[in-house]
Amino acid sequence: MSGVVWAAACGVPATPAVPVEPVPEGAAASIPSTRPVARAERPEVVFLGDSLTAGLGLPPEESFPALIQQRLDEAGLDFAVVNAGVSGDTSAGGLRRLEWALQGDPRVLIVALGGNDGLRGLPPEDLRRNLAAIIEGGQRAGATVMLAGMEAPPNNGPDYTARFRRVYPELARAYDIPLIPFLLEGVAGESSLNQADGIHPNPEGARRVADTVWQALQPVVERSAGAR
Amino acid sequence: MNFVVRMIGREFRSSWRRLLFFFVCIAVGVGAIVALRSVIQSVRQTFAGEARALITADAIVSSNRPFTPELRTTIDDRLTASGAEAVESVEMATMVRAAEHEGGLTRMVELKGVEAGFPYFGRLALAGGQPYTHAMIERFGALIRPELQAQLGVHVGDGLLIGTKRFEIRGIIETEPGRRLGAFSLGPRVFVSLADLQETGLLGFGSRATYQLLVKVPDAALDPLVASLRRDLVNQFVRVRSYKATEDDIGENFARAEDYLSLVGLVIVILGGIGVSSVTRVFVQQKIKSIAILKCVGARSAQLLVVYLAQVVVLGLAGSLLGVALAAGAIAAIPATLAAAATPGVTVHYGLTMPAVAQGMGIGLLVSVLFALVPLLDVRKVKPSRLLRDETSADRPDLVQLGAIGGVGAALVALTVWQAGSWRIGLIVTVGFAATALVLHLAGVLLIRVIRPLARARSFALRHAVLQLSRPGSQVRIVLLAVGLGSFFIVGIRSLQENLIADFAVDLSPEAPDMFLLDIQSDQAQAVRRVVTAHQDEGAPPPRLLPVLRARIVAVQGREVQLDSYEDVRGRGSLAREYTVTYRDALESNERLVAGAFWDGATSGSGSGPIASGTAPEAEVSIEESIRDRFRIQVGDTMRFDVLGRPLDALVTSVRHVEWSDSRAGGFMFVFRPGAFDRVPHGSIAFFRGPADPAARGRLQADLVNVAPNVSVIDGREILQTIRTVVDNVTLAVTVVGSLVVLSGLLILVGAVAMTKFRRIYEAAIFKTLGATRRVITTVLLLEYGLLGALAGLIGSLGAVGLTWGISRFALGIPFRLLPWLSVTGVVATALLVAVVGIAASWDVLQRKPLATLRAE
Repeated sequence: MSGVVWAAACGVPATPAVPVEPVPEGAAASIPSTRPVARAERPEVVFLGDSLTAGLGLPPEESFPALIQQRLDEAGLDFAVVNAGVSGDTSAGGLRRLEWALQGDPRVLIVALGGNDGLRGLPPEDLRRNLAAIIEGGQRAGATVMLAGMEAPPNNGPDYTARFRRVYPELARAYDIPLIPFLLEGVAGESSLNQADGIHPNPEGARRVADTVWQALQPVVERSAGAR
Repeated sequence: MNFVVRMIGREFRSSWRRLLFFFVCIAVGVGAIVALRSVIQSVRQTFAGEARALITADAIVSSNRPFTPELRTTIDDRLTASGAEAVESVEMATMVRAAEHEGGLTRMVELKGVEAGFPYFGRLALAGGQPYTHAMIERFGALIRPELQAQLGVHVGDGLLIGTKRFEIRGIIETEPGRRLGAFSLGPRVFVSLADLQETGLLGFGSRATYQLLVKVPDAALDPLVASLRRDLVNQFVRVRSYKATEDDIGENFARAEDYLSLVGLVIVILGGIGVSSVTRVFVQQKIKSIAILKCVGARSAQLLVVYLAQVVVLGLAGSLLGVALAAGAIAAIPATLAAAATPGVTVHYGLTMPAVAQGMGIGLLVSVLFALVPLLDVRKVKPSRLLRDETSADRPDLVQLGAIGGVGAALVALTVWQAGSWRIGLIVTVGFAATALVLHLAGVLLIRVIRPLARARSFALRHAVLQLSRPGSQVRIVLLAVGLGSFFIVGIRSLQENLIADFAVDLSPEAPDMFLLDIQSDQAQAVRRVVTAHQDEGAPPPRLLPVLRARIVAVQGREVQLDSYEDVRGRGSLAREYTVTYRDALESNERLVAGAFWDGATSGSGSGPIASGTAPEAEVSIEESIRDRFRIQVGDTMRFDVLGRPLDALVTSVRHVEWSDSRAGGFMFVFRPGAFDRVPHGSIAFFRGPADPAARGRLQADLVNVAPNVSVIDGREILQTIRTVVDNVTLAVTVVGSLVVLSGLLILVGAVAMTKFRRIYEAAIFKTLGATRRVITTVLLLEYGLLGALAGLIGSLGAVGLTWGISRFALGIPFRLLPWLSVTGVVATALLVAVVGIAASWDVLQRKPLATLRAE
């Protein structure tokens, strides 16, 4: 019986996300609860997300964070992208692994969570609380936090989708942080840009997502690089 | 001809009592076949019905996109061409709340919109036994699950807000057809009519819904329709599924059980046949004088053969009819014993099936004739001079008899293959049968040789027991053959049965978990545990939480493999996939250590965290055998994992073998030593036995939402009940049939021993005349039969182990388990049985006054 549950628990065996650079020895000797100790390593852009970030169903080099790494390299910006995307993760799970994701030298944290909260109809109030805690944790760790907005699917009902949609701009305003209004802008619901499951972007869709993210991210990383 | 007919009548009047045993042998054999086949066919019909009920239709065309008009045209053309009809349904997750409480609780449900005609198969059962009709939900009516009722605090007649529309709750769903095994459920089911669902505004752009066409089609047209639809709809994001797709565990187990049952049916036939053969042989021996007289007065061998064969046919027919009656009785007794296990909506209707009856009668008759033929051919050899001289008949079969033996053998092989339904199993059984027969024959010869020195033993009883066994024309070989084969089959069938039942992959014990929780965060574990324990029924085992993480292998430093980067790992195919891993400090019951050493209870990596340290690995990992075999990763190698975006080096310290078919404790390719993930955020999954009362299950879910809103609940109760019903039925059939085999084995034993009785009487009389007491004669008999029985049992049991191994391994594809206690029991029980039956069958030999016997001579 548990075999059945496994299948449900783990979903499709995910295609691996981007491999990260090995962290030099002693990198995690002490895990920071506040500001990380400055270390001789590359500054990081951390994507905390779900299967959309992990690039479910895509070759690792075609997930949108991998494409962002390419753009950073092309722009001559010395940042390492950390893909902390876990398929099936909710905002509650993201909050619990925030520290783990931020143990390097995070300069920018892009929070791209909520998709699974919406799919599973979890209360928008919980989403708001979890995201707020993530934003605060990221800021404590010294990173510039960006929020990527998500939409709940219309089948959840107009009442729920409206409450869900409001969470992102309200948080961005409250914390005064940059907002990507909708991570899947122009991609969600378009057959030609999604895989057969109708949820996950195909390579072309992932490029669109990377465009959307890069537009908002570029000024932030440039500012961050300049400050160094 | 006139003579022949009159003789049949006369013979029959005088000899039917002696042939009663013949009759019983055939009746039991035929009864077994008919009962068995009927049960198989009943269960199979139910199962086919169940398979349809599981998808509510003969086939389902489904898509996660609405069917475009062109697509509908294509599909409808195909349906019309096959004489099929279809209804549409749409499934989606949505949030609902009680209409009367503004701003009250909202819950996610799985909404299903259906058209009139749903379900084609299976039954939608409502609380209170009210029958479901589509009219019930028309014009904004809804049927809901009791869990939702408990969670929202609503009742029949209350309003439910779905999308922008208010629906009236018109009934509570008890069981629902079309719930798939292991389907991930986002919430309790709500049924509405499809037309109303389309009014809710929930099916807009970007909505996630499953669109289905439930198809009902004449059986003959099903496969071609499915094939042509698949061809037409390729690359259209459409799935076509037929009810026949039984890729799951139940289907596989069921197919195995069916193969097995066919085989057992055949074994019973052969056992019955051996009984028939024994009886016929004795019968002919008793008739030798009558036959000799008839020959004196001019009867020809052919005429006599017809007389006796006709009797065999009449007896065979009568025995078969009795067998059918026995089977009918046995089947009528089944529902009472099984009623307890019955689940609403899943009922097996047992009954005699016509094909089973016809097959049983046919086989009964065929086996009677086949097995009686060889002994009956002795009739030809009886000479009139037998009246005057009491010579021992020549045991050596002549050419005609040899030919007949060959013919009968070939017919039996054909019968075996036919009944087993497969060449493979048929051949394995035939070879096993022949090999055992040969071994038994040789063992008999050897036994006589070995014990001959004992003929000079001091003890009178022992001396005579040995003499009895080793004199010319003794019954050693025949009893060994009959009893040995009997015990061979009984032990073989029993151990196959044990192996087969042990292999059912589903744990169906009353404590087996039937509720599953996903996505429990570590800080929620305590609260979740508390809530679950509070709701569980008395005596239920506490919930088990398994920590789970996702990890990817990014590098391997080994003696045989050097994968320096993730690109290298990707070159190794599936090694690069994302694995679900866990940690624990002991092996599970379905695991076995193959190499290295599994850490003991202590945790690794104290002090400065072992995680993410670039070089010296302190974390330990145990890998599964297949990882070692496929990727040549060994104990002592270091693997680098990417855990949630961070590297973790771990030393491979052991290799485990996981019995994947027994997945009760889950199966993991990688198990880490506790400690490695102390700082890594991770969740758990949990499984446990939920409360039996559906309302209590609903309350449990509601309470879980309060303490851990992100935790998802999968309720496997109904699915487990369905599986349990199927397994119970199969197990019942297997057990009933196993008992029948034992019964026919006993009959053969009685037959084989009784066969030797007529020689006994004369001997016993002489011994008594010479002063032997009844006690001495009993001891002689006990020693003689006990020795024979032990030997027959030993050889039979050894043969059975071989048979079980061969069939498990090559025919059924299940793991072989040696059951030593069964073999030992087989030997001891056979020895005891043979001794007891030997004494019992010789009872009147012991009782009879010697003078009466000698005078009769």
